[in-house]
Amino acid sequence: MLKKYLVLEDGQVFAGESLAAQTEFPETAGEVVFNTSHSGYEEIATDPSYMNQIIVMTAPMQGNYGIDDQVWESKRIWIKGFISLQMQFSKANATWAQRLIEHKVPIMTEVDTRKLVLELRNQGTPWGAVVQAANENAAREKAKGLIAQAKQVDGDWVWEASRKEAQEIVGDNAHGPRVAVLDFGAKENILRELKKRCSHLKVFPSRADAKIIEAYQPDGIMLTNGPGDPAEVKNAPATIRHFVGKLPVFGICMGHQVLSIALGAKTYKLKFGHRGANHPIQDRILDMIYMSSQNHGYAVDSTTLPESAQVTHKNLNDQTVAGFFSEKLNCLGIQYHPESHPGPHDAVKLFDFFVYKMIQKKEKPHHAHH
Amino acid sequence: MPRLEKFKRVLIIGSGPIKIGQACEFDYSGTQACKALMAEGLEVILVNSNPATIMTDPDIATRTYVEPLEVEFLEKILEKEKPDAVIPTLGGQTALNLALSLDKKGILKKHNVQLLGATPEVIEAAEDREKFRAILDEIGAKYPRSEMVKNFDQGIAAADVLGYPLILRPNYTLGGGGGGVAYSPEEYKQMLVQALHESPTSEVLVEESILGWKEFELEVMRDSNGTFVVVCSIENFDPCGVHTGDSITVAPQQTLSDREYQAMRDEACKIINRVGIQTGGANVQFATNPKTGERVVIEMNPRVSRSSALASKATGFPIAKIAALLAIGYQLHELKNDITQVTPTCYEPALDYVVTKIPRFAFEKFQGSKDILTTQMKSVGEVMAIGRTFQESFMKALAALEKNTEAIQEVDFDLEKVSYPNSQRIWHIFQAFRHGLSLNMLCELTQITPWFLEQLETIVKFESTFKNAELTTELLLKAKRLGFTDARLAKLKDFQTSNLKNIRHKFGIRPAFFQVDTCAGEFASSTPYYYSTYWSKPEGSIAMPKTIAVIGSGPNRIGQGIEFDYSCVRGVKALQKLGYKVAMLNSNPETVSTDYDTSDLLFFEPLTLEHLTEVFNVIKPEGFIAQLGGQTPINLARSLTQEGFKLLGSSLNSIDLAEDRKKFAELCRELNLSIPNSAMAGNIGEALQKESEVGYPMICRPSYVIGGRRMEVIENRGELESYFERHKDFIGGKNPCLMDQFLSGALEVDVDLVRGKNWILVGGIIEHIEAAGVHSGDSMGVVPPQRLKQETLEKIEKLSLKLADKLNVEGHLNLQLAIKNDVIYVLEANPRSSRSVPFLAKATGIPLVDLGMKGQLGLELTAEEKAYDWKKIKQVCVKGVVFPFKKFQDSDSVLGPEMKSTGESMGRADTYSEALVKAFVSSHLALPKSGEVFLSLRDKDKQPMLPLLSTLQKLGFTFSGTRGTAEFLKEHNVQCLSLNKVHEGRPHCVDRIRSGQVHFVINTTAGRHAVEASFAIRRACTDYSIPCLTESDAAEAFVLALEKAKTGRFEVSHLSF
Repeated sequence: MLKKYLVLEDGQVFAGESLAAQTEFPETAGEVVFNTSHSGYEEIATDPSYMNQIIVMTAPMQGNYGIDDQVWESKRIWIKGFISLQMQFSKANATWAQRLIEHKVPIMTEVDTRKLVLELRNQGTPWGAVVQAANENAAREKAKGLIAQAKQVDGDWVWEASRKEAQEIVGDNAHGPRVAVLDFGAKENILRELKKRCSHLKVFPSRADAKIIEAYQPDGIMLTNGPGDPAEVKNAPATIRHFVGKLPVFGICMGHQVLSIALGAKTYKLKFGHRGANHPIQDRILDMIYMSSQNHGYAVDSTTLPESAQVTHKNLNDQTVAGFFSEKLNCLGIQYHPESHPGPHDAVKLFDFFVYKMIQKKEKPHHAHH
Repeated sequence: MPRLEKFKRVLIIGSGPIKIGQACEFDYSGTQACKALMAEGLEVILVNSNPATIMTDPDIATRTYVEPLEVEFLEKILEKEKPDAVIPTLGGQTALNLALSLDKKGILKKHNVQLLGATPEVIEAAEDREKFRAILDEIGAKYPRSEMVKNFDQGIAAADVLGYPLILRPNYTLGGGGGGVAYSPEEYKQMLVQALHESPTSEVLVEESILGWKEFELEVMRDSNGTFVVVCSIENFDPCGVHTGDSITVAPQQTLSDREYQAMRDEACKIINRVGIQTGGANVQFATNPKTGERVVIEMNPRVSRSSALASKATGFPIAKIAALLAIGYQLHELKNDITQVTPTCYEPALDYVVTKIPRFAFEKFQGSKDILTTQMKSVGEVMAIGRTFQESFMKALAALEKNTEAIQEVDFDLEKVSYPNSQRIWHIFQAFRHGLSLNMLCELTQITPWFLEQLETIVKFESTFKNAELTTELLLKAKRLGFTDARLAKLKDFQTSNLKNIRHKFGIRPAFFQVDTCAGEFASSTPYYYSTYWSKPEGSIAMPKTIAVIGSGPNRIGQGIEFDYSCVRGVKALQKLGYKVAMLNSNPETVSTDYDTSDLLFFEPLTLEHLTEVFNVIKPEGFIAQLGGQTPINLARSLTQEGFKLLGSSLNSIDLAEDRKKFAELCRELNLSIPNSAMAGNIGEALQKESEVGYPMICRPSYVIGGRRMEVIENRGELESYFERHKDFIGGKNPCLMDQFLSGALEVDVDLVRGKNWILVGGIIEHIEAAGVHSGDSMGVVPPQRLKQETLEKIEKLSLKLADKLNVEGHLNLQLAIKNDVIYVLEANPRSSRSVPFLAKATGIPLVDLGMKGQLGLELTAEEKAYDWKKIKQVCVKGVVFPFKKFQDSDSVLGPEMKSTGESMGRADTYSEALVKAFVSSHLALPKSGEVFLSLRDKDKQPMLPLLSTLQKLGFTFSGTRGTAEFLKEHNVQCLSLNKVHEGRPHCVDRIRSGQVHFVINTTAGRHAVEASFAIRRACTDYSIPCLTESDAAEAFVLALEKAKTGRFEVSHLSF
């Protein structure tokens, strides 16, 4: 049988095993990233932000608790590969592996993931490919082609991940505001959190025209998470500029980055990104320090933000921008995931803050807020 | 918010003697906290009655008080030291309860002292179950249905409502003391009486059973800003019904989905906030129903605990240190993560490995006690192991128990042993899989989460694969990744262990050493805290030049506990002072030695030949130290030497001379030293031949039986015959019975000395209070000796030096001697640092371990060091002893040659009597001021006891006694109420003890029959916490203490030399 390899762009090879049940081993390429969350493999794999990425889990044992359709963050699995030290495949909890197999995601186990993670930490986020081959050299050859091909995808990953048709959702709170959501590759839980608090939601494609959105008469604009490089996102910055200052705008992750671009700021690629559920945040809006769920490869350069925007949220591990708020423009950008899934719920109150801003706006449409 | 400047002088309360449920984890937390606060420039006053701790080493705190942890002594210390605040959250339940009493009595207020870390309201909210339940109701958390009962009738009514089985939890007790599971009304009634008695407030929570539910624990921290982090999640392998201290546990949790886990995390946060914890560490225990997912809260502790020590070692997050810093005002984000050095302390560790904790039990020491695990903790120690997978970590932990090198050795299968929780269950589960029992059946029988059992099943299935397949590199690597020890694999292949190891090395299969870095590799880390794994290839070197390895003492067990960790830590520091780098190896998560900043390199590994060899191969030490970790390293010294590693200090030959009974006896004869007569016999015929050679009384024990079991004092031929009959299964030609002369009534002493190439120094002579026959670990002791003549002391010193020279000791030597009719008998020599070393170091101020290290390294002493003289000791120091009989139902508290105590205390004072009072009080013995003394004395004690009784009479005590004793006393004009013995009909003496009319008991017995007949008396005393003296010498000491206690005048003083 052919051996399984993860080949990094620079030619480094990590050997591993596949599961016997994965009789057809898909060969894929993508960015190789690691996530330090202890639980939540299903949420992670279905999060569109992981599009075109091969995910390495640092927690050594995966699949332990089976599956739960209720926690899917979108309708499909986005990751290009699932790599761990050990995958559970006993009678009771083979389900997660089976699900990945059904969705044609290559599973690699018995990979020296710690060594791999230290390498990813040093290299940044390299591209890589999961292949089967007779030996390392053959694997390198195969990987080269796959990686080259994968890298040719269009830069606007958000468009790829976004809904192409608008979708209306009736909220649970009849007295709540109406929200227009710009789908950059939205996690379901952003929508669930909004649904709980709002009367109506309408989810628009990422390239939706400002006028169409305006016609919906929203009380606020929600910009979701999504995959890829924020600088490559088409249309959305202009759309956002149309609403900024008029309606409360709340951007999460990619939404936060595109919002900052709309405001004239610049983003940059982090060396190896933040992916995990234990990043400390100093939040000056909720006036708390708490743990957050994170998944991003880019960050906003604080020096390029307009004067009216204050950096209100800081990642205490590396002091990068974790969020900003502009009172004048009534917009909030949050780099991490207040909707969690997976990860701690500590920041969920930011949704309340956004809803509060929308209600304020609704009640006093002619006054400047506060 | 940075540090609060108003706190300049802080008092830390320790946890006192080691007992089940409160062990050396609090030495770890207290030491860490002291170090952190001292580093902040605070003045730290420490009080702890336990001399075996590292925290009571004089340079850990500004001022160290080895004094009883009781209100009156604490008040005296507060008066003297005038601290600004007290931190009560680091010394277990003892410290919390003490702080609560200090507050209730208004003493804190009077001295203007603030409680830091936990307020009285918080302590009560968490400990008072009704208050706690009200809080849970408020936040919508569920808990098992239960009722608080305050008397027997209420208890019966509650049981009718809740149904069986029922869990009993007395209020305000530690380690679940007095609690348990009742399956039937009969059992319940009996337990209810006891539980009501155990609770200081006579309140017992009777709870609906959640047996079989999954159990979890979250270790959390909070700062004054409200920042909340979960340091570690822990999942119990054993389902609910087994105390978490007795459960095998795994970190991080393995079987919760993110949704379930986050809901639990949210609830923990709400509880902490609502209970009102301002700063510090806490833990919350949960149970979840495996079928419905329903979650209930079991309990929370607003303090650092046993599991926080485990969590600290499992994650690299120093909970106690951070708790101390938060208490003085810092917030989590202001403190740096020690391990990464770049990120702040407000984070939740991410683990890329699995940690397993397995408790170690001592049921074999307590004859009569049943090996059943319940909600009352019974384990005496624990091991922790780290591996990349559950299997690797679990198998390493089993190896670390030091029970069997195979780790999962085969056992005589007993299905019953699988069906209820007991200390042997895990091996029977493995065996059940070997016998082909199905996973489903085992899940049903054990109610253990299937995920765990699947992991074990995989291991067992691999055994047969391995047995039958050709031994290839691939197969062997797979085996090592599953955590198999070389010894087990060798057994499966019918090889010698060394052969298997050689093949493995030939195949190039060696473990890699990975760092514990708190962040799963996300950030660089330079902290040298390592574990081994076969899931990677070894790479790079972690060797440092001039490294010496110190082997620790492994899991605590009766006879090998915290004292040896003291020696190890002290030894590490001594080596560092001498310019060496030190690699520490240990498997016990409760210890200071396994703190990552104690040594230069820390290896959390099983202390077995295989694991140590692999570590040594990587760090290439200049030598290793085997004298500090008790018997564990001594037993490994020879084979490690054979592997080519250099033993420092006394040679293998010296060790052998001291350890081998036969060689040692010859050596003593050569030196003209007296030793007790001894002989060996394979059957009763041989025994009778040698009867006169040894003489009565004698001590008999089968050779090759662990832990001195079946050791008995034999008084006459009839008993000798009975002994051989009863133990015939354990005695034979290959394992003969050892017969030793018993030096009845002799005084026993411990001598500890250190020796270098051309110097030697006696560290002290401890005189035992009980006569020979009681294990040295179980007898109280005093230094300086109170009864020995000056001349005899000199003789003892001379003799000890002579022996040490003859043995050619380099480093430590401990001697046990007995003195009878001015003749000194040599009983035993231990070529290592002993249990009494920390006691002597604290009593005399002589840094014995440091000097011993110089001896082991062949170094000279300085003039100053040579001048140490233990006889210049300023105060009288008495060692008190703590026993766990209460936890072992049906165990007998009579003392004998087998050690049973778990911990020790120290009483220091200007006079012997005051030191005795302190030692007794510290060992939780009540000193009654008046009342009734029940006497049941053996004949030979009656006459000598008369003066003592007259003293008691003067003190205002009255007497009751069994008929024989009462009649004897009446003849001698001592009033004594005559009571029936148990078999003489009711009401009998035990009824009287149980009714609370007796205040203490003197019960001396001889001979097996008398001991058995009086068992009920001692058991009643144990159950009702009534002092029971079983030795006339101990009774004398007790009365001396009562006399002193009656005066009520005590002084406290800090250690100073």
